[in-house]
Amino acid sequence: MKRRTFLKIAGMGSISLAGCSPDPEKNLFALIHAAPDGVTGEAAWYASTCRECPAGCGILAKHREGRVIKLEGNPLHPVNKGRLCIRGQAALQGVYSPRRLKTPLLKEKGVFKPVSYAAAEQIIARRAEDAAAKGKNRVRMLTEVTGECLLNVFDRALEKWKSAKTLVFEPFAYESLKTANLNVFGLYGLPSYHIEKADVLVSFGADFLETWLSPVSYAGKFKEMHALSGGKKGMFIHVGPFRSLTGAASDLWVSCRPGTEGAIALGLVREFAGKGRTPAHPPGFAEKLKAAAALYSKDTVVRMSGISPEQFDILVNAVRGARSPLVLGTGSGTPGDNALQTDMAVNLLNLLLDPELTLLDFHARHRVEIAAPRSDAVEFFEAVAEDPVDLLLIHRSDPAFYLPGRTAVTGVLNRKSLFKVCFTEVMNETAESADLVFPPGHYLETWDEYAGVAGMVSMVQPVTASLYNAPGTGDVFLRAASGGTGGKTPMKAFVHNRLKDRGKIKDRKDWVEVVGRGGVFDAGLPSRSDRHAEVRINPGEKIWEGFSGPREQEANTRFFAVVPGIRFFDGRGGDRSWLSEIPDAMTQVAWQNPVLAHPDTLARDRVRHGEIIRVTTGRGEATFPVYETPLVRPGIYIVSLAGRGFSKKAEPVRQHSLSLLPAETLPVSGGPRCDAPLVQVQGTGAFIRFARTDGSRTQLNRKIALSIPLDRVKGRRDAGLSEKTAGYSMNEFPLTLPLPEGYDAGRDFYPPHAHEKYRWSMIVDLDRCVGCGACMAACYAENNIGVVGEDRIREGREMSWIRIERYHDPDRPENLIFFPMMCQHCDNAPCESVCPVTAPHHSKEGLNNQIYNRCIGTRFCAQNCPYKVRRFNWFEWTWEDPLRLMLNPDVTVRSKGVMEKCSFCIQRIKHAHGRAKDENRGILDGEVVPACVQTCPTGAIVFGNLMDPESRVRKLADDPRAYQAMGYLNTKPAVIYLKKVIPGT
Amino acid sequence: MAEAPLTTTFEDIDRTVLNTLGPAPARYWAGVLLLAAGIAVGGLCWIYQIFVGIGVGGQNNPVAWGTYLINFVFWVGIAHSGTLISAILHLFRAGWRNPIARAAETMTVFAVCVAGLFPFVHLGRVWMVYYMLPVPNQRDLWPNFQSPLMFDVIAISAYLTVSVLFWYTGMLPDLATVRDHSTGRKQKIFTVLSLGWTGSQRQWFHHGRAYLFFASLATPLVISVHSVVSWDFALGVVPGWHTTIFAPYFVAGAIHSGLAMVITLMVPLRKLFRYERYITLDVLENIAKTIIFTGLIVAFAYGTEVFMAWYSGNPIEMETFRWRITGHYGLFFWIMVTCNTLVPLLFFFKRIRTSIPWLLGICLLVNIGMWFERFVIIVGSVAHDFIPHAWGHYAPTLVEYGVMLGSFCLFFFLFVLFVKHMPSLAMAELKHSATGGGHGD
Repeated sequence: MKRRTFLKIAGMGSISLAGCSPDPEKNLFALIHAAPDGVTGEAAWYASTCRECPAGCGILAKHREGRVIKLEGNPLHPVNKGRLCIRGQAALQGVYSPRRLKTPLLKEKGVFKPVSYAAAEQIIARRAEDAAAKGKNRVRMLTEVTGECLLNVFDRALEKWKSAKTLVFEPFAYESLKTANLNVFGLYGLPSYHIEKADVLVSFGADFLETWLSPVSYAGKFKEMHALSGGKKGMFIHVGPFRSLTGAASDLWVSCRPGTEGAIALGLVREFAGKGRTPAHPPGFAEKLKAAAALYSKDTVVRMSGISPEQFDILVNAVRGARSPLVLGTGSGTPGDNALQTDMAVNLLNLLLDPELTLLDFHARHRVEIAAPRSDAVEFFEAVAEDPVDLLLIHRSDPAFYLPGRTAVTGVLNRKSLFKVCFTEVMNETAESADLVFPPGHYLETWDEYAGVAGMVSMVQPVTASLYNAPGTGDVFLRAASGGTGGKTPMKAFVHNRLKDRGKIKDRKDWVEVVGRGGVFDAGLPSRSDRHAEVRINPGEKIWEGFSGPREQEANTRFFAVVPGIRFFDGRGGDRSWLSEIPDAMTQVAWQNPVLAHPDTLARDRVRHGEIIRVTTGRGEATFPVYETPLVRPGIYIVSLAGRGFSKKAEPVRQHSLSLLPAETLPVSGGPRCDAPLVQVQGTGAFIRFARTDGSRTQLNRKIALSIPLDRVKGRRDAGLSEKTAGYSMNEFPLTLPLPEGYDAGRDFYPPHAHEKYRWSMIVDLDRCVGCGACMAACYAENNIGVVGEDRIREGREMSWIRIERYHDPDRPENLIFFPMMCQHCDNAPCESVCPVTAPHHSKEGLNNQIYNRCIGTRFCAQNCPYKVRRFNWFEWTWEDPLRLMLNPDVTVRSKGVMEKCSFCIQRIKHAHGRAKDENRGILDGEVVPACVQTCPTGAIVFGNLMDPESRVRKLADDPRAYQAMGYLNTKPAVIYLKKVIPGT
Repeated sequence: MAEAPLTTTFEDIDRTVLNTLGPAPARYWAGVLLLAAGIAVGGLCWIYQIFVGIGVGGQNNPVAWGTYLINFVFWVGIAHSGTLISAILHLFRAGWRNPIARAAETMTVFAVCVAGLFPFVHLGRVWMVYYMLPVPNQRDLWPNFQSPLMFDVIAISAYLTVSVLFWYTGMLPDLATVRDHSTGRKQKIFTVLSLGWTGSQRQWFHHGRAYLFFASLATPLVISVHSVVSWDFALGVVPGWHTTIFAPYFVAGAIHSGLAMVITLMVPLRKLFRYERYITLDVLENIAKTIIFTGLIVAFAYGTEVFMAWYSGNPIEMETFRWRITGHYGLFFWIMVTCNTLVPLLFFFKRIRTSIPWLLGICLLVNIGMWFERFVIIVGSVAHDFIPHAWGHYAPTLVEYGVMLGSFCLFFFLFVLFVKHMPSLAMAELKHSATGGGHGD
């Protein structure tokens, strides 16, 4: 885009937003007092809600000159408390996706033709009215999980069209969890968990750090219980056949055969049934429970699940010794056909361990519970295929992708007499068969409301000028149902009225406040006593159906499983290039999606790491590259769900992993199966070169990522170092602060730097880092970092300023440690002395500034950097239109031939300086928040001024766990790490 | 020592050399044209790289330095023995160096020129290279004199200046000889080039002093330039670079490769120009003996590096050398060890060091080995340095090979043009030897 075009669009954007209307104003006004979002060069922040998954985190969108350029968590929001995950950060790329459709597409004679939004709306309204005129249930609708308001809009419209309510479809609908809750607690829903209050946490597959219910919320809560605090830390045990990112955060991985989690849980039930606390359960309950669990003796459990007896003992003892244990059930991708049994056993276990269920919150339930079970979705399509339906509306969903090869779905999509409308921003598999593809306004461009947990209001509002003037789905339905009335944004008025009706707001002042804050977060929460009001123990016989006795599984049955991953969730992140560019935390592979398998599995199947293998299940075959890892139990091939546009150029090339899974839904719960027994695995002899960013899986005792046993965390930092020899060898090095006090004439060649008032520094707590990668995405967004693509990463040319290094423990390779690495802003910076033109410059605030326009590209600094954090612009990186609209105007876009690296978000430091100067004060502790620090869901990173004795960083630097990565090099890094705390000695 | 045959008269010398300056055959011009085409390939590759970005080469993170700096060090190394032969051996009064001094000095000048191009090719933004010059400016921005690359700029430019002056000073009487024996335009050109040399006693006196002066000036430069080049690495923190042995190690290696290059050039030269009477086998044998010596120094350096890595007890150093010997680039390490230290030991046999094919073959192998030495040091160290997560490999791309081809073509282009148009034997010094005076007494 040319500069003039950019200015035009930016100008148009700000004008249109100021007037809340995309039409340019006809009159010119001189603004005496500019609207807060109309000041060129000033950012305005809008509160809204993230819709990248059903969790519904609160966001603050940074708005500059008419466009949104960065998303951050809304600190007031109770779900995410100001944090965002990797997908939330990348949500921005959804607005500016190059694949986003610009107009509705109408299929005429098999070819899509662009039509105007007005025409498309008319077509929908006319078709709906025609259908309604013909009779009942002639219009059917399927939607993703939406907020209460939008669902109401849909249902009202459908009612007007004399049709049944909309079906809420989600690929991960937690069927077994909900059914188990119904059977045990009498509630078909999804309570939230107070993980933060537990001291021992056992998960039977729930990947609560990645995709499970509300990952950002649970990541924060998890670290409240699991991070070291007051010399203690909680314990987390992960039970399952593979170690996902969540599993990697566990202190112990109990590796069991797929589908035997339930047996282990019942083994635990047997251990605790009738012992200790006596719950006030219905008569006969305890006896029945005891009898049902009696079959699961330790020996049986061990034999069935393939875990060791010692592991089972550890598990039992950990739970027994716990003051406040909490057990979590299955995740969205827990293999096996008996997730329901597991979830029911888990519920019973929680009931046994904590009869009051104090760690479950049945009031603050997760919104995703409204999603219909998979079996209902299948029935929906079967009905549409047979019933006389004239109009099918599919809202932001891709059933053709999630239900591959089902005759009902293909039948519906191929049915000529049925007019199919797909509301989707990008083309997907379902949309390709649709008659009308209607790209609605992005949720960052339209009005809506979405509360991720019950009991609050979370606003969705336009935070950017509409890129293509697309109306929101709510607007479309309101207009269509009311015969075209309602004006430009009827949804805004609808949400307003609905909130008023619900008593959430009283007047216009309330409304403005609610929109400004992002929602109503404090009102309406019930007191503690009636939180469980709706819950009763269901004594029905259903509860015992799950325990039909131990089912012996063939020890050598092998599985193929498809699980959701943190980057792509249900596959929708495929066209967000940041999510592909940022490597998977476990494999460090970017852009590709290999299937993971244990080395023993590979040896048995005679395939090798990196080979393209052909996986055959009962339903079909597909090829994948295979990645060797000890994080998966032998006998399993596991791949994360990626699709919907996942390929190196974000073209809709898909991995058809889902088509290998059984088509049948599970009985009772109606959920899908995420695994299938393997028929055959064959090597093709072809190999792929992984686009991986790791050069080694271990750190070879180089004192990079350090851990410390819990009982040794005490005393003074650097205790036990001899004053004479410390600092001269690799094994004995003190923490040397990057301050004049860190100067030692015996070790230092150059005199110390004099810092005037500030010495910026960062503390990274490895005990809190779970490797989720949110910081990386935030950094890409904040600092306009180039996305280089698969081939360039293979060449070793990724540009990330911060990376999460992953190291396997050489003795126990299934144990990982994650290590965020960014520029260390050393006081003795090796890069500074070698540059012939002083492009790396040591600022008076201790920053190692890279001066782009001084750099001539000798690359000596990168060679000499022991931390290898400097990134060279090998090419001129490009942003496919319109992605460049999201570039941060506060940060230079670097040209080819210059070096770049982490700047500690110097633009934010400068901004804080400006503000402090305006108010005639110094910068306060915590006032400068770099992008990575801001978003970290577990609060692992702290930033501040080391010269301030009261600052958090200064105090944390005295922590007994504090050290500097490779401190023996005496580079005096300003990034100080706190050792990861591991249990035991 | 080896002197020119006693039967040689001044006229013989003049005739032999002047014969080489006669009209060139078409074959020659075809060769020149081919070399020019090679230069064009290199030039086009460079232009392509400037427009598209350094990424067209194979460098990456962690290996940000590739063949461009390998070739830079390689050519600087080649340059060394020219000065060694003409200056140091001059000061040591080693008369056998007289017949090869001119060609060796020429090699030095052209090799430094070629070497000097590589830092430019290497730069990410070559159009900003003037930032490295200490030009006074209103922003008070100066180059960083702490940087070894600034040392390089100064060392290489000083070396080039002194070598060119030394070379030209030595050539003055010969240019006058050519002038006296030519006519027409050629005479006019050489009249200008010979700066009015008449051969008067006074001129000879000053010439002798100046030559000695430049020889003394060039001698420390031989040591310093390659020491400075080695500091590009030794002053870094990278394991495999950061070691005190680098300066003498690089100087010895440079002389090793330079001497091998001298033989590589002299063998065809004496054959084509019938210089056998002057560049005798004895001369070549003396170079071969020196190669044994430098090869042993280099072998000692290799051994010392490995010993120090082990003796330090530093796991990072140890891993670096373990990987260097057995890792991804292990083959290159063994090529380096074999070609640079084992193969030259064959020169202990008189039959081998007096056989032209053996001489040429071994010297070509040393040249290859020395190129791989630079590869092993430059690429092999950073590819496997402190942060295991960042380890990676590097392989040159076609563009880099193109530039490399261009550099070799440029060197031979200049050399071939020189030997055909300028006196490629130091006539005056040979005459000096022929009278039994001058060096070698």
